[in-house]
Amino acid sequence: METKLLQSSDIPKLFDNLIKSGKVIIAPITKKSGKVFFERISSYDQVEKDYIQTQFSAKSVVFPKVEELFTYKKTDTGIEITDTLSQIPEVVVWGLRPCDSSAFDYISEFFLKENPDAYFARRKELLTLITISCPKADDACFCTSVELNPGSTAGSDILLTQMGNEYYAEIITEKGKAVVESSSDLFTATEPKTKDEFLAKITYQFSLEEIKERIKTAYDNAQWKHESMGCYGCGACAFACPTCTCFDIQDESDGDEGSRKRCWDACGLSLFTKHNSGHNPRKNQTERRRQRLMHKFKYSVENLGIVSCVGCGRCIRVCPAHLNIFENILNVTKE
Amino acid sequence: MEQLQNKVAELFEKGTISLMIGFQDGMSKGAVPCFVESVEQVKLLIYNSYCKNNLAVYLHKPEVKQAKKVGIFGNVATLRSILQLLSENQFWNIELTVMTINANQEFILFESIAEVEKYVQANFPQLTDEEKELIEKINTMSRQERWEYWKDLFSTCIKCYACRAVCPMCYCPQCTVESNQPQWIKVSAQTSGNMEWHTMRAMHLAGRCINCGECGRICPVGIPVHLLTAKMNLDLSKEFGSKTGYSASNGYALNSFNPNDKEGFIR
Repeated sequence: METKLLQSSDIPKLFDNLIKSGKVIIAPITKKSGKVFFERISSYDQVEKDYIQTQFSAKSVVFPKVEELFTYKKTDTGIEITDTLSQIPEVVVWGLRPCDSSAFDYISEFFLKENPDAYFARRKELLTLITISCPKADDACFCTSVELNPGSTAGSDILLTQMGNEYYAEIITEKGKAVVESSSDLFTATEPKTKDEFLAKITYQFSLEEIKERIKTAYDNAQWKHESMGCYGCGACAFACPTCTCFDIQDESDGDEGSRKRCWDACGLSLFTKHNSGHNPRKNQTERRRQRLMHKFKYSVENLGIVSCVGCGRCIRVCPAHLNIFENILNVTKE
Repeated sequence: MEQLQNKVAELFEKGTISLMIGFQDGMSKGAVPCFVESVEQVKLLIYNSYCKNNLAVYLHKPEVKQAKKVGIFGNVATLRSILQLLSENQFWNIELTVMTINANQEFILFESIAEVEKYVQANFPQLTDEEKELIEKINTMSRQERWEYWKDLFSTCIKCYACRAVCPMCYCPQCTVESNQPQWIKVSAQTSGNMEWHTMRAMHLAGRCINCGECGRICPVGIPVHLLTAKMNLDLSKEFGSKTGYSASNGYALNSFNPNDKEGFIR
C-alpha cells in the first residue's frame, strides 16, 4: 500500500480536479435542518468539514432509496423499454467514515455473492470511496466493539487521516491510485505513519467474540420483550443503517407508461412480513426488533460469514424511542 | 422519583394495574420508554428532563391492550392524547390509571379522568414561539412559494413512517399506505408520493392532532411535519372553536353533529 501526504490547503484543488473529471461527487453537506447528509456537490465550499457522522450512510450511492430499474412506454408498434443500467454515472464519495466504507464490503457480498445484481455491480464498479478517519466520536459510536476502528481502511479506495495541517493518505486500491495520479502534483511520498494519536477514542462496549457465541442461544431469551416493547415500528434505523439491504420492488404506472422501482424496505415495519391472507409470521414488534438485531450479529454471520453491524451508531441517533442496539444486544446475551 | 416508584409498586400490589408504561434510563442519550410488568421491575422507573416521548401511543399496542389494567405516566401532551383518544372511544377495553409530575416536580396520581381534564385545562399548552414564527412564515408565503417550500422538504422524506409510528392519533389497524389493491399512495419515497402521504396524514389528523410535536421532533431527515397539523388545528379552532385534547367528551370538529347548529345546511 502506498502512503502519501496531502496539504489541507490543497484539498480544494483536489476537488476541482475531481469535479472537472466529470464524475458525480457526493460529500457531506449541512441541510437547513442542521443535519448532515451525503449529497451531490458542485464545489468544495459546500462540503461540511466538522461532523462526527452523517445522518444517513453512504449506501444510497450503490443502493438508492428508490432505484428505477427500467421504464416502459406503450407505442403504436409495441412496447418501448428503456434500460436504466447504462445511465449509471461514475461517482466519487468524499468524507465517509471508516465504518461506512467497511459496510460496502458487506453489502457487496449481499448483492454480488450468489445472484449478482447488475445494477449494484455497475454502481460499485463506477464508484470510488475517499474515506476520512474520525478525529472525534460521540457516545453512540461503537466501531471498536465490532472489531473496526476510526482509522480502518476496509472498503476504502483512499483513507485520509488529518494530521495537523496535512492529510496522511493511504492509497488502498487501483481506483485510489487513479485519483492520486490525476492530481499527482498535490501528493508527496511519505513513509507509513502511526495514526493513533489523531484518531477518536471510542468506548469499548463488548467483546464481539463473546456476543457472537452467546447470541446463538439468545432467540428465546425472555428479555427481548423488555428490550423491544418501546420500538415504535418505524423504519428509521434500517434506512439510516449502512448495512440494511432489504428492498421492495414496485411497479408504478401512469396510463400507458411507467417504471419498475426498487425501494428501501425495513424488517421493523409490520407490512414487511405480512401475508396476503392477513397472517403475519412476525406477529409483534418484539419479534421484528429481534429479527433486525439477530440478523446483524447471527444470521449474516451464518449466511455470509460477516457481522453486519459496523458500529456507526446511526440507529441509536435516529431512534425515536432512544433504543440502543449495543445495550439491547448486551441485555439479551447476558448469562 | 421515589414517590413514583412507591406509588406504582402500591398499585401493582393492590391489583389496580398489571402493566405500567413509563421511562427508564438507557445507555444512549435520552430516557427510554419502559414497560413494567411486576413489582420487582418498579425500580427501573425514572423521571428526568429527557422524558419527552408521548407514551400514549403505546396504549394501542396489542400487548398493552391485553394487560387490561394499565398505568401510564406522562406529561401534559400524553394526558391530552389520552383525553382525545377517550373522546374517540379508544379505551373501552382497558382501565387506565394516569400519573404525571407537574412543573413543581410534584408527583400526581389522578383519581379519575375528570381530574385529568381539570389538570390539563389548567395547564393547557400554547404553541411555542418557534412554532408560531414558522407558521407565520408559511402563512405569508404565496401559494407558489408554499408549494415549493413543502416540495423541497418532502423530497427528502424516506418514508420510514416514524411520524406515523410515534403518533398516538394514528391508530388505524391498517393504514391507507398499506393498501395495495388499490394502491392509493405510491410506495416509492419520491417527491410526488411523499407529498401524497403527508397530505393524507395531515388531513386525517386535522382537528384531532394534539400538537405534541413528536412527529417533527423525531423525523430523521428533519422535516417539521408537525407544522401541518398545528396549522390545521389553528384553523379549526378559529372556525369551530374546537380544542383538541381538552376533555374526554370533546369529539372532534370534523366528526361531530349538533342538531342545533346555526348553519342550516347541516340539518
